[in-house]
Amino acid sequence: MSKKREKEPDLKGTLYSVGFLGIFILVTWFMAFYLFIDRF
Amino acid sequence: MTTIAEKTKDLVRVDKRDGKLALAHIYVAFIALAIGGLCGLLQTLVRSGTFTLPWGIGYYQILTIHGVLLGLILTTYFIFGFQIAVVSRTSGTLTDKQRLLGWIGFWTMTIGTTASSIMILLNEASVLYTFYAPLQAHWIFYAGLALVIVGTWIGGAGLISKYVEWRKANPGQPSPLLTFMVVVNLAMWIICSLGVAVEVLFQLLPWSLGWVDKVDVLLSRTLFWYFGHPLVYFWLLPAYMVWYAIIPKIIGGKIFSDSLARLSFMLFLLFSIPVGFHHQLTEPGISSFWKFLQVVLTLMVVIPSLLTAFSMFATFEIRGRALGGKGVLGWFKELPWGDARFFAPFVGMVAFIPAGAGGIINASHQMNQLIHNTIWVTGHFHLTVATTVLLTFFGAAYWLIPHLTGRVFTKQMNRLAIIQTIVWAFGMSIMSGAMHIVGLFGAPRRSDFSTYGGSAQATEWIPYQIAQAVGGTILFIGIVLILYIVANLIWFAPKGETEFPVAEVSEHAEKTPMALENWKIWLTICIALILFAYTVPVIEIIQNAPPGSIGYKLW
Repeated sequence: MSKKREKEPDLKGTLYSVGFLGIFILVTWFMAFYLFIDRF
Repeated sequence: MTTIAEKTKDLVRVDKRDGKLALAHIYVAFIALAIGGLCGLLQTLVRSGTFTLPWGIGYYQILTIHGVLLGLILTTYFIFGFQIAVVSRTSGTLTDKQRLLGWIGFWTMTIGTTASSIMILLNEASVLYTFYAPLQAHWIFYAGLALVIVGTWIGGAGLISKYVEWRKANPGQPSPLLTFMVVVNLAMWIICSLGVAVEVLFQLLPWSLGWVDKVDVLLSRTLFWYFGHPLVYFWLLPAYMVWYAIIPKIIGGKIFSDSLARLSFMLFLLFSIPVGFHHQLTEPGISSFWKFLQVVLTLMVVIPSLLTAFSMFATFEIRGRALGGKGVLGWFKELPWGDARFFAPFVGMVAFIPAGAGGIINASHQMNQLIHNTIWVTGHFHLTVATTVLLTFFGAAYWLIPHLTGRVFTKQMNRLAIIQTIVWAFGMSIMSGAMHIVGLFGAPRRSDFSTYGGSAQATEWIPYQIAQAVGGTILFIGIVLILYIVANLIWFAPKGETEFPVAEVSEHAEKTPMALENWKIWLTICIALILFAYTVPVIEIIQNAPPGSIGYKLW
């Protein structure tokens, strides 16, 4: 555990992966929501 | 004379006596998997409409065996076995007293499990694993389950006492991460299982013994779900322990952040318990304000879940880049795909993406009507517990069992374990996928095969039920494979040393703040949230209670 970080790790891939996850959750949720609105 | 190297090795090896205790739990877990898994196969065959159970065995009887043995027994025993090994490995060998508590807990749980199982086999308790009133089982079934819970408290007390001992011996220092995680999980378990203990002791036992005629159904279900939702996190958190603190070591990396891991566990402690109403969203008798409040608290679980996702991706990316992975996603290829200790839990993580998304849909208040009591829900928890959690446990078994039995996980077994993971993922995609889709068409869960008097809608469900049987059969092959691997690791694998992997924290991580280990703060918030979410609605449920119900035996 260094007190001073000289170089931040490159986490671009993590950003995209978590972004994909968020989009997946939103898309599936809205699909279910559309079905709900359609039925009830 | 022992050399320093040998002494160091001893430090990272679980003491044999603790290993024996852990293994005893793991044996029961895999026996439960064998019996419960066979019942699962039979269920899917019955529901396909092509198979009838012989010898007068009832569908609901095997459904109860499946749910109790896999949902309650396999999980609880594996988790305790794993937690005992983890605490012994990271905080030191248990004292004789702590180990004795572990054994008393084990036997209490096992007497309870045996008693409940006998009652199910005698067809006296086909009430499914949720044992909802007013279905009424034989009192021995409830007493057996109560003993299982009491056994976990006794065994849990031994592990918590080890943690207290460590903290006293190391003042001002953060405890070992894995031990800390075990204690969070146990704290959650003890707080939530009080609810089901109250239900069993004060409602179901007196009622099934005939001391009282009637039971308050809504109150019993509310107490059950006060326990039932944290129960799923009790399954999940040990999988997260493997992800956060063990997988990084297996892939040759480091823990991204100790603080983030601890914070996420504490958030799970806070937001797993005051949320049971999201299982009762269609239930009359609970006002919609309190349902809404618990829905909001439920959705808070998204935060630690996404913290976990971020942390895992970051661990993988940092390691993949260190191995030479280039570009935005090139690091992905560098991960050790041929190592079943990584591959099985990784597939479990992937399954958690649709599982988590489905969970958010289930918990979205009125939208719950879309899927309530349909087989979508069964598909959902077969992704969460039967894929994410179970594949992670299998991945852990590949190093934990040989570590404890003094054997090695051979290359052939590793290859078989990779095949097992693929078979599992394939079978589950078919079975759970079919359950999700046909659930949206209205197919009910918890129900025997029926054409519903030749109804057109029910006819549409049948192809999906056949798909479930196909998936279920493939999954059963997966069960045979894992049992073969486990038997090999217990009795037949070559003797040798197997590492118990525990990862170190990354040098980039910040120092862990001690506030994360201040139990006064976190338990106070936890209890305050529970009181806030439950006090008023439970008073309302009791005050406005409809007449109680007599018991029914519909099987």
